[in-house]
Amino acid sequence: MAECIVWVHADNLNPNNAALRAASGSPAVFVWDDELLKAWKISLKRIVFIYECLLELPVTIRRGDVALEVAAFAQEHSARRILTMASPSPRHKLICQRIMQQMPKGSRLEVLRDPAFADTNKSIDLKRFSRYWSSVKCDVLRGKK
Amino acid sequence: MADMRRDFATRAELIAYLKAEFPDAAEVCDVVPPSPIGGRKAAEERLRVVNLKKYEATRNFLDGEVTRLSPYIRYGVLSLAEVRDYALANTKSRDEVEKFISELGWRDYFQRVYAEIGDGIWEDIEEYKTGFSAHEYAAKLPEDIRAGQTGVTFIDDQIQTLYTTGYLHNHARMWLAAYVVHWRRVRWQAGAAWFLEHLLDGDPASNNLSWQWVASTFSSKPYYYNLDNVLKYTGDRYRGDPTAMGHQAFVGSYETIARRLFPRIQIETNTADQPRRGR
Repeated sequence: MAECIVWVHADNLNPNNAALRAASGSPAVFVWDDELLKAWKISLKRIVFIYECLLELPVTIRRGDVALEVAAFAQEHSARRILTMASPSPRHKLICQRIMQQMPKGSRLEVLRDPAFADTNKSIDLKRFSRYWSSVKCDVLRGKK
Repeated sequence: MADMRRDFATRAELIAYLKAEFPDAAEVCDVVPPSPIGGRKAAEERLRVVNLKKYEATRNFLDGEVTRLSPYIRYGVLSLAEVRDYALANTKSRDEVEKFISELGWRDYFQRVYAEIGDGIWEDIEEYKTGFSAHEYAAKLPEDIRAGQTGVTFIDDQIQTLYTTGYLHNHARMWLAAYVVHWRRVRWQAGAAWFLEHLLDGDPASNNLSWQWVASTFSSKPYYYNLDNVLKYTGDRYRGDPTAMGHQAFVGSYETIARRLFPRIQIETNTADQPRRGR
């Protein structure tokens, strides 16, 4: 029985990411999203690159319906807690919701973040890059806090 | 569902396995370049050899000192914050790396826009500022473009590069995108989806929003260029008779090209010969 599992997705394949560090030694899974692959038609070279990234991670690799596979993996390990990394993709949010619909009551899904490039707390005008850059530039160029 | 394999003696064995597992992907294009190799180890090696001093001076040239970090950044193998911190730690002067860091900023910016508008990145954020409405652009990518047989030598060369390497220099991406949208009057969405099939760093936010920037649906005016611009940044490759190379449509001043591409409107011409980003 594992306390938690990690759901690794393609927007964060860093072996040192916050989720893999927080759950070091816990089972982790990556699922190729068959529906997305069908929609995007990505070529073989992209698949190979991602797969090579995965081979350096301590993950089980599967394919199919991501939400169903992640929930099934958690249940195989009797885990009620799932850690994953943030993504701006609306599909990520949708999959998170669908995973929770599959999980037993009382389960938790935690979305973690790596250190941000720029301050994420202040409100930034995104109409044009120049406006964004003028509001974050000083903070960004200061570097590591 | 059974687990997928993790044990491969060689890269060729991995490629053969993935070709069998993902036949649709192999059908799109089954060429796999010898590099870059995916993974954190390769990413760190790449980061160590980046020459930021040369980057600043030569990055707009097709054979310039670009970093080739984008596939690693796209999949979060390297975070923007750590690449920025690496750049700051390895320079004597912040000014020397400011341009590089601002380019990282473009990705952060696009990711923030994506987080805000979601699948709206596939819609025109603003109207085209070309004198044409969206419905006047073709919805589908023409076959000669997909086949890399447009007859425009520098365009066909870039299409081959895209297919065989999964990488295009930023300048080449802009030339190709502007060719598709403005010279061929095709909706940017068709071109963006095509790029996502092949670019190793293909990210819907950076990709689509850059196409929109070129198209003018996410910028104040369309991006276009002329043959002088291509010649300047490609060395001697395309010097010679423009007609023999299918380059006639790119010959002329920025004013001439603008009148040809956007006859219904007056475009404030910009004679700068660099990618007009960051305004």
